[in-house]
Amino acid sequence: MNLSLNWLREYVPVDLAPDALADLLTMAGLEVDGVEATGPSLDGVVVGHVLSAEPHPNADRLRVCRVDLGPELNADGEPVQIVCGAPNVAAGQRVPVATVGTVLMLPPKNGKPVPAEAGSDRQPVTIKKGKIRGEVSRGMICAEDELGLGDGHDGILVLETDAAPGTPLDQVIETPGDVVYDIAITPNRPDATSHIGVARDVAALTETRLTLPDVETPPAGGEAADRISVEIADEEGCPRYVGMVITGVTVGPSPAWLAERLEAIGVRPINNVVDVTNYVLHEMGQPLHAFDLALVAGETIRVRASEPGETVTTLDDQERTLPEGTLLICDAEKPVAIAGVMGGANSEVSESTTDILLESAYFDPARIRSASKALNLQTDASYRFERGVDPTAQTRAAARAAALIAELAGGTVVPGMVDAHPVRHEPTVVTLRPERARQLIGAEIEDDEMVALLTAIRFEVTDAEADTLDAFAEGALASGHIEDATEAADHAGLRVVVPPFRPDVEREVDVIEEVARLWGYDHVPTPRTAPVALVPAKDQPADRTLAAARRQLAALGFRELFTNSLVPKETAATYAGADWTGSEAEPVETLNPISQEIAAMRPSLLHGLVGAAAYNQKRGADAIRFFETGRVYRRSADAGRPVEGYAEHTALGIAVSGTLQPQTWDAPAREADIYDLKGVVMAVLREAGVQRVSETPRREPTDLTAYAIELHVGKHRLAVLARVSDAVMQAADLTAPLYAAEIHWEAAARVAKTGLPRYQRISRFPTVERDLALVVDAAQPVGPLAETIRQRGGKLLRGVRLFDLYEGERMEAGKKSAAFALTFGADRTLRDKDVDKAVAGIVKALEREHGAVLRS
Amino acid sequence: MSDSPSLPAQIDALRAEIDAATLTTPEEAEAFRVRFLGRKAGAITALFGQIGTVPPEARRETGQALNALRQSAEARLQDAERALAQTASAEATDLDLTLPGRVPAPTEPGSLHPLTQTLEAIQDIFAQFGFTVARGPEIEDDWHNFTALNFPANHPARDMQDTFFLEEPPPAGRGVVLRTHTSPVQVRVMEEAVKSGGGPPIRVIAPGRVFRNEAVSFKSYFMFHQVEGLVIDEGVSFADLKAVLFAFARAFFGGEPKMRFRPSFFPFTEPSAEVDVWWEDANLPGGGRWLEILGCGMVDPNVLSAVGIDPERYTGYAFGMGVERMAQIRYDVDDIRLYYENDLRFLSQF
Repeated sequence: MNLSLNWLREYVPVDLAPDALADLLTMAGLEVDGVEATGPSLDGVVVGHVLSAEPHPNADRLRVCRVDLGPELNADGEPVQIVCGAPNVAAGQRVPVATVGTVLMLPPKNGKPVPAEAGSDRQPVTIKKGKIRGEVSRGMICAEDELGLGDGHDGILVLETDAAPGTPLDQVIETPGDVVYDIAITPNRPDATSHIGVARDVAALTETRLTLPDVETPPAGGEAADRISVEIADEEGCPRYVGMVITGVTVGPSPAWLAERLEAIGVRPINNVVDVTNYVLHEMGQPLHAFDLALVAGETIRVRASEPGETVTTLDDQERTLPEGTLLICDAEKPVAIAGVMGGANSEVSESTTDILLESAYFDPARIRSASKALNLQTDASYRFERGVDPTAQTRAAARAAALIAELAGGTVVPGMVDAHPVRHEPTVVTLRPERARQLIGAEIEDDEMVALLTAIRFEVTDAEADTLDAFAEGALASGHIEDATEAADHAGLRVVVPPFRPDVEREVDVIEEVARLWGYDHVPTPRTAPVALVPAKDQPADRTLAAARRQLAALGFRELFTNSLVPKETAATYAGADWTGSEAEPVETLNPISQEIAAMRPSLLHGLVGAAAYNQKRGADAIRFFETGRVYRRSADAGRPVEGYAEHTALGIAVSGTLQPQTWDAPAREADIYDLKGVVMAVLREAGVQRVSETPRREPTDLTAYAIELHVGKHRLAVLARVSDAVMQAADLTAPLYAAEIHWEAAARVAKTGLPRYQRISRFPTVERDLALVVDAAQPVGPLAETIRQRGGKLLRGVRLFDLYEGERMEAGKKSAAFALTFGADRTLRDKDVDKAVAGIVKALEREHGAVLRS
Repeated sequence: MSDSPSLPAQIDALRAEIDAATLTTPEEAEAFRVRFLGRKAGAITALFGQIGTVPPEARRETGQALNALRQSAEARLQDAERALAQTASAEATDLDLTLPGRVPAPTEPGSLHPLTQTLEAIQDIFAQFGFTVARGPEIEDDWHNFTALNFPANHPARDMQDTFFLEEPPPAGRGVVLRTHTSPVQVRVMEEAVKSGGGPPIRVIAPGRVFRNEAVSFKSYFMFHQVEGLVIDEGVSFADLKAVLFAFARAFFGGEPKMRFRPSFFPFTEPSAEVDVWWEDANLPGGGRWLEILGCGMVDPNVLSAVGIDPERYTGYAFGMGVERMAQIRYDVDDIRLYYENDLRFLSQF
């Protein structure tokens, strides 16, 4: 909301500098988002002392002046020469001088129209050093109108000051400008949506007097009530409707003061009648509407809810179809306004209007809000009604506006008013326990101070004890339960009557907030210590191990990504496949995305990894090591979800691509492959305590993968790792193959080993190493060989490592050699024959299960 | 050596051979590497060894020619390897996916995302103040995201947030949403505490991702991250809240930052406040500006009642801050989109 400082000053004296007022408002909960000074800029205009004014040698009407501008602005210490055309310039004067470089907004020269700028015919002109008819001129002695200070152009402005030459002009004279504040009104402050509302807070905070305009409110009834009557069919939607009539008005432009008030806060002046309604809205916070009475059929205004399919053409000439139940203002024949939102075009005040019906009503906030939202139409009126206007202010606002209209547009206020008031406002009464307030705020605020603070913003505060003591006496006598009554008396506090313009204040805690706000949050102490509950936190292994995995990956040279949780629907569908997620995921879609780019939730992390790899490859990155942790989402029929119908889990995505090892002095370059990814995934799982991982290779290409390995522990699927498919690569414009993995972190955490390690005695005996070179079919996978070795190795086998794999000229065609290093150990000295026996068992099993033979 | 052709002639011959080589199988690529680039017997490697035979005045030129030759051979090899890898899916049948993986040595440091680093810094400070971490779902229902937090239906407060709906809001539907703030975790934590019989005291922070249906610009994004805090106990006051947050700001920003605690509004707290930190910037009029870092307040009695905690006996406070905002202040990042663009030139700075 825009607030004009000049306007505010009509109700409260403000001695503060503009910025200090901004701070005061902000600290009172009326956050100032912007401060804008309006009016002419006098930057660069200083006081000059005219030392001499001689006739110009080449021009009769011009004078050549020597002007002292003070030590800083004089040229080389000498007064400057300025050529001036004004007849009244004379030696000894103090005059305003626009120094060289100053930009003035000059009015058009007489008789020479200049192209008009938006809203003004003034043009910016930069004052330059120059020669006028052969005489040097360094600056300009200004007239009132040239400075935007007034209309005077009869001659230069002669200052009544003895200020030193060079003093900035704005320190010498009062400038006519205004300061406009942009205030962010929170939903709990409907009272502050007007100048008087803000003035009330300012007066309370600066302990000054609030001055309200004099308004004579006529009694209900009278001649006005004979002219017009009001029927409220929807009392819930319209608890009060006040009407006044002004006859014989002449609609025309508003006077300058009114137009300026409205323009200052960004409201376009329209005509004297409409402008008055807007003025009173911004002054008092009560929206008003003026109808052309001649265009209102019949003599009865009806307030009712709309029927299905009704339409109204509003003031902005838009035909609007109303949702059923919208509050309407109707005459005998037709709707004439959408209540609280906008008037109808059919009854609009125009140049030819002579009689006015003025509406001042209270509409139900929720109803106005629904209508405004459904119509997508927010107006100054709806903004206030939906927050809740003062339910008692209607008559006063109507009377204020009627008087102003009669004053500015001529005409006569028809005596009396219609006041249809089916639902009366009941003031809210709250008991404030000062002790409770002190406890909640944590500050020692005296009872008296609370009373003073609340009274300053028009809360009525009285001691509730009187009532309670009576109750005590009665209760004690009646019941004999003296203890209960005593307790009641102890809890007694202050009886606070909430003013009608604060509908947000309903409970004790709301009053406590007002006390804290006015007392000043800045004064709330900050204790040095705080009690901490000694409740140990539950261990959250998934969180803990995930944080560790992030650090592990960073240490391995991986960069962490944050990619979008929201993706286009097609992307979600593409990346939901069972080949990646384990079981076809039904993606979650949003109902109302503002862009189709964010219409669905990601079913996996793969899309983000692919996107980030492509993005960086395009920008020249040839080595990719990425990871991301985050939630992935799907629809789910499983019971026990936090929100039924949806499943989300935390996943860890890892990707490698490109030149993983650049060429170095001791090693050639090496491109990433699936084994790099596998090594990293296994290392991360091992670190997280996941053991006995089984691998299921998948060689057949799928939509998302060229080939893949799925990892399980028992029947729990933990992860997939894969080279992404050619289709994905091409769609994303990847320039190198991408190897990506996704781990279901919560599943991994569930199967991870928990608890602490138990120490085992370190063996004093040395281990024995044996190498085993095997020849197998070239197609024989090596993993199962190692698995067989592990299974058959018995208790003595401590480790298996594949150290060589060969296929080529020195091998029989269709065969390959795999060489393993086996480590044996025991808590005793191992004899060769023990090891030989174990090895023989292993070899036999390898031969039986895999057709492997020892390489000769 | 005097019989052999001159070095420039040999370079030309090799270039022709390199250009003519076919590199369509891994074997051919390997043979190519051995033939030209092998460290022991590679032909180009060998020519480098002969550079001593070139007259001194021609050495520079010859050396450059040799380097160019080596680079062209390397480029051909690299292209071929890329191309071969591209067709790897056709060759998946040759791959033994059961082979053990290897952990590639890091060639340069990795990094945690600046948002993770910022979040961890925030978490660490609150851990020192006795807060534990709680989490909740990102897909939320109307009750936890709005109703239990004292957002009345049809109240302007709901306008403050542009919500992604997954299901129509009540009464038409269940009002399932992408959570618009981390505050629903407050409700879940309190409900859980009540259900498990413990009730207060509660002292948690809840970090996580939140969503707003907003257009993307340098200062707004449709998702971001928050850290929520919640303390419920007997005798907890607004002063305690202010003290904790000021202590947090001192720890996070270092030194004694200038701060203000000013009134604000949130449906789920009463009284409510926002905390601003003074950001010094000599380029600004006034020498700096106030930066809003978080919103907070005393938990509204309606929220406590909604989850079955007696608001007469217990009071508490809640606060919430934006991680992106804090990271922006910490690292001077002026465009929120950078956090989700994942440009290595950005990520590698943290």
